[in-house]
Amino acid sequence: MKYLIIGASSGLGRELAYEYAKNKHDLVLVSRDLRDLAAIKSDLEKKSEIKVEIIELDLSSESEIEKNLFVERFFNEIDGILFPIGMMFDDDKIELDQEKIKKLFKSNFTSIAFIISKFLRSLSLKQGGIVGFGSISAYLGRNLNPYYSASKRALESHFESLGFLSKKTGLKIQFYVLGYVDTNLAFGKKLKLPKGSPKKLAKIVHKNRNSKFQKIFFPRWWGLVAMILNIVPIKILFFMDKIFK
Amino acid sequence: MNSEKKFLTSFDKSYSANIFFKKPDKYREIENHSRSNKNIITIGSNYSYAPMGFDKNSLAIDLSSFNRIIDFNLDKKEITVEAGLKIYDFLKFTLKYNLWLPQIPGYPFITLGGIVATNSHGKSCGTHGTIRKSIKKIQLFHKINGWLDLSENENKEIFDLTIGGFGLTGTIVAITFKLTELESGIFETHTEEVKSFEDCYKKISDDKNEKTFTYSWNRADSIKNFGTGFIYKNKLNSNNKTNGYLREIKQKKISSFLPLSLWNSLSVNIANNIYYKIQKMKKNKLNEDLIQVIFPYIGRESYFKLFGSKGFIESQILVSSKNMRMFMDEFLNIFKKHSPVITLFSLKNMSGEHNYLRFEENSVCVSFDFTNTKKNMEFMSLVDKLCVKYKAIPSIIKDSRLDKKTVSDCYIYYQDFKNKLKNYDNKRVYQSAISNKLDL
Repeated sequence: MKYLIIGASSGLGRELAYEYAKNKHDLVLVSRDLRDLAAIKSDLEKKSEIKVEIIELDLSSESEIEKNLFVERFFNEIDGILFPIGMMFDDDKIELDQEKIKKLFKSNFTSIAFIISKFLRSLSLKQGGIVGFGSISAYLGRNLNPYYSASKRALESHFESLGFLSKKTGLKIQFYVLGYVDTNLAFGKKLKLPKGSPKKLAKIVHKNRNSKFQKIFFPRWWGLVAMILNIVPIKILFFMDKIFK
Repeated sequence: MNSEKKFLTSFDKSYSANIFFKKPDKYREIENHSRSNKNIITIGSNYSYAPMGFDKNSLAIDLSSFNRIIDFNLDKKEITVEAGLKIYDFLKFTLKYNLWLPQIPGYPFITLGGIVATNSHGKSCGTHGTIRKSIKKIQLFHKINGWLDLSENENKEIFDLTIGGFGLTGTIVAITFKLTELESGIFETHTEEVKSFEDCYKKISDDKNEKTFTYSWNRADSIKNFGTGFIYKNKLNSNNKTNGYLREIKQKKISSFLPLSLWNSLSVNIANNIYYKIQKMKKNKLNEDLIQVIFPYIGRESYFKLFGSKGFIESQILVSSKNMRMFMDEFLNIFKKHSPVITLFSLKNMSGEHNYLRFEENSVCVSFDFTNTKKNMEFMSLVDKLCVKYKAIPSIIKDSRLDKKTVSDCYIYYQDFKNKLKNYDNKRVYQSAISNKLDL
């Protein structure tokens, strides 16, 4: 089996690459950082008997995506795509400039939807898999990172739609809603709740790769937080926010 | 990206501070993080006895995500790895091809960047010298000078300053090593009793040209039995070929919650008597695996825990054969007067060429651990004077107690190292607690 991992040079993407390599899957790794991808490729090929291809790609450029990813060979060979990507800006506030908003939506949502749309046919034919990664931040509008969370909410909605499609086509769709995960995005941040291990998550993702449709919270207990956020009226949540501040 | 704040303590517990550190996992993050602070230092696994990888005023760059194998050429027996790779993971790979580095230090979770920065040596340093002999190339990042490739043919001066340069020339990112063939994963250990220090020293010196890993365990708990003990000779058992197997071991946390040291003259005496009797009862020839021979502290981590929260000091001193007798005569005189609590005393051969701040020379290495007490510190300040008098070289990475004067008097290339470092980096960006103490 051959898997395409978009955003494989660090954090969760890197862990997924190692987990899939450990389980003898060939890989196509994509990221903006060729130096890092080259180091991962070399390490994986030395330690596991798999083939690894690497592609330097800026997801904000549709022409680059088309040129590098939408090639016949990949449509034939790829059995599944994983999207462990998430772009964030430190200055992501409601008044964020237009270009950055576009960039956030492109990286976190539209480029993913674009890639999926092109691979949908080939993956449906071979009953392949698509794995997306959302964020618990998508469950409530917020002061910090509003565009990041909005783009993740769009992504989650898109994967729910894909879930309906999976019933008809045999596509395997999984969507992981992530709380705090111990990657560079969370490094040094004063978080009030514990971080989940990306290694553990990579194992879960690989184990679930053949499931039909699943939406999973990681760490699991974030599911409870999401449920509360969905049930409690927004006015009460605003009131609580005021009190805690 | 944010930095994380942590309270760090050196392995010997001599220095603690709140440290800001960053953990890059991309090459461009090494560049960005290095540029985010005036002073920086790269931190490995923090197993250096002295605080080499951090300082209260320096941003620590944690390279643990840079732990990959970049290249491996079986024909040339060369490997390029990232500096955050730990010795254990490195050996797990190379032993599949019956290859290794004989100059690795005695704990498997030390990083390869760390062993280059400290010019480490192992038990076989009499035969194989220090890690310098196995280094072909280094890739370094310096905040001002950028990315540099270092080798005998490229940037040679920085290459020489970097090996055993305590990380002060920049962040060591990748290293190319020349590997050595390992005929067997099993060692035949011969044990021989020694009756005195002189007896031990003579036997160790006579063994210098043998292809064995020879070292001793000597008692130093009283003047009466000073130097008695055993010599161990580990010889590769060529009847047992290696099969790429490295036993699974787990990294243990070596921290102590004991408020006081449990090592004192009485407990050291009891422990030494027990150990001595056990060794006497054991066969004088037995087979041991690679982990038992190369990593003697695996499974014996409690030894360090018993020193309690005040920690310990280890002193390693290179003494030339010309001066050894006089050095030890005076050492014993001071020992008689001060009765220090020495928990471990050992000898081994060392080979190599001394330069800059490298702990390396053709001589005998005398090692001893002692408890961190006022009495022992007074004893050690007199030993420092002996080092200066007899041109002996005390190890900077082991003994955090050493001051600038002792180091500059014992290391004849101290000023040369300092000048060249300043010439290469006039802002002296990379600084650790030890480099500050030694005014480097």
